[in-house]
Amino acid sequence: MKETNHRKLAKIEVQDEILHDHNHDGIDRRGFLKCMAWAGTGAFCVIKGGVLSSYSLGRLPEFGKHAAKGELSFVQISDSHMGFDKAANPDVVGTLKAAVDKINALPVPPAFILHTGDISHLSKPEEFDTVDQLLKAASAKDVFFVPGEHDVLNDEGKQYLDRYGKGSQGAGWYSFDKKDVHFVGLVNVMNLKAGGLGSLGREQLEWLEKDVKHLSKSRPIVVFAHIPLWSVYPEWGWATDDSGQALSYLKGFGSVTVLNGHIHQTMQKVEGNITFHTATSTAFPQPKPGEAPSPGPLKVPAEQLRTLLGITDVNYVQGRHALAVTDTDLV
Amino acid sequence: MKNRFWILGMAILAIVLGIGSSSRTFAAPADAQSASETAVKIDNFSFSPATVTVPVGTTVRWTNRDDIPHTIVSDDKTFKSKALDTDEQFTYTFTKPGTYSYFCGLHPKMTAKVVVQ
Repeated sequence: MKETNHRKLAKIEVQDEILHDHNHDGIDRRGFLKCMAWAGTGAFCVIKGGVLSSYSLGRLPEFGKHAAKGELSFVQISDSHMGFDKAANPDVVGTLKAAVDKINALPVPPAFILHTGDISHLSKPEEFDTVDQLLKAASAKDVFFVPGEHDVLNDEGKQYLDRYGKGSQGAGWYSFDKKDVHFVGLVNVMNLKAGGLGSLGREQLEWLEKDVKHLSKSRPIVVFAHIPLWSVYPEWGWATDDSGQALSYLKGFGSVTVLNGHIHQTMQKVEGNITFHTATSTAFPQPKPGEAPSPGPLKVPAEQLRTLLGITDVNYVQGRHALAVTDTDLV
Repeated sequence: MKNRFWILGMAILAIVLGIGSSSRTFAAPADAQSASETAVKIDNFSFSPATVTVPVGTTVRWTNRDDIPHTIVSDDKTFKSKALDTDEQFTYTFTKPGTYSYFCGLHPKMTAKVVVQ
C-alpha cells in the first residue's frame, strides 16, 4: 500500500463551536477533528482509552492487526450504477470488481457490507443481478442495502423491495444490531416533490422515533441512507428536506455516525455527537459542489479514474465513542 | 361551364387526396391540430427552454441529452414519463389550456412549465 494511493477528495467543514468537549466524554474534540481531517488523506483513527491515535494508512502494516483491530469492522460501498456505460466510466463491472478486491485486502476482515444505493443505473433486473453476482466474491457475505433513486425507477420501488426489502418497513427502511452498535437504514429517494430535496416522509420519521426511543443513550448508532442527511449542496439536491427531524431523535446519544452516498465523493463533517460521512462511488466521480454547470458524471483521464473511486471502512472499538471511518481508493 | 366544373372537381379531389395522405402520415394523434410540435431539451440537469408557451393541441417532445436518466412528471400527475436514458424521448399532447408545471422525479430541483393557450 503506497500512501500516495490514498489521496482523497475529502472536505472537512469545521466550526469553532464544536471544538469543545460538550459531552464530557474525555474526547478532545480538537484532536478528534484533526484526526478526521487526516482521514481524508488516508489516515486511520482509533480511540483507545479516550485518547485518539491516528495512523497513516501507508504505515498500517507496521502496526499490524493489533492496532487496527476494533470490536466491529464493516465496509460501506455506494453508487455502483451497474449498467452505466458512458465516457466517465465504460467499465463499471471492472471498478466494482476492484472494490471487492479492496474489501478482501483489508487488514481487518469486515463483518458485512453496507451498500448506500444506486446499485443499478436504470433499475433493470440484469443490473441488480450483476451486482449481486459480483458481491458474492467479497469476503463479507452479508450485504445490507438502501435504495438510491436509480433503483426505484418506473415501478415505485416494487422490484427493489422484492429483491432487498425482506423484513423492512414501508419503502424499505429497517434497523438491526451488530455487537452493541445499532444500525438504521433509511430511504430518502421516494415521493420526491417538485423543487424539493431528498425526503424521508412522516411515516418513516414516526418509525425512526419509535425505533431509537428505548435504546440506551450509550449505544453507538450508525444511520445509513442514499442522499446525504446533511446539507452538502442543496442547489444540486444534495440534502434531505426532513433530515433535521430525523437527527433530532438522535441528539441524546453519545455516538452517531451518518453514512451516505449519492454525491460520488468523500466529505465529512462533525457536529456535536454526530459524524457525517459520504462515500465515493465505485462507478464514476461527480464534480465538487458548484464547480461544474451540473452534478453530471465527471470525466477524468483514465489513469485518474480509480483514484476518485473507492470503498469506506468503518471500525468500532467497544466502550469508545466515535467510530473510525477510513476511505480507500481503487488504485 | 363544363370546364369550370371539371376544375372544381379536380380541386375537390386534390383536397380529399391531400387530407387522406396527411391522415396517413400523422396517424397517431386524433386531433388534426396536433401536427404542431415543440421541443424541450434536457441538458446539464435543466429543462430548456424552462417555459414554453404553445397553442392547444401542441405536442411537446422532451429529449434527454444528459448522461444520467431523468423523468418528466407534472406537479398534478397529469403526465408522467418513464425514466429517459441518454437520447430517449417523451411526448405529451396538450389538449386543454392551462399552465402545466413539471419536474424531474429523480432530481426534483429541475423544474419547468408548459403554458397552453
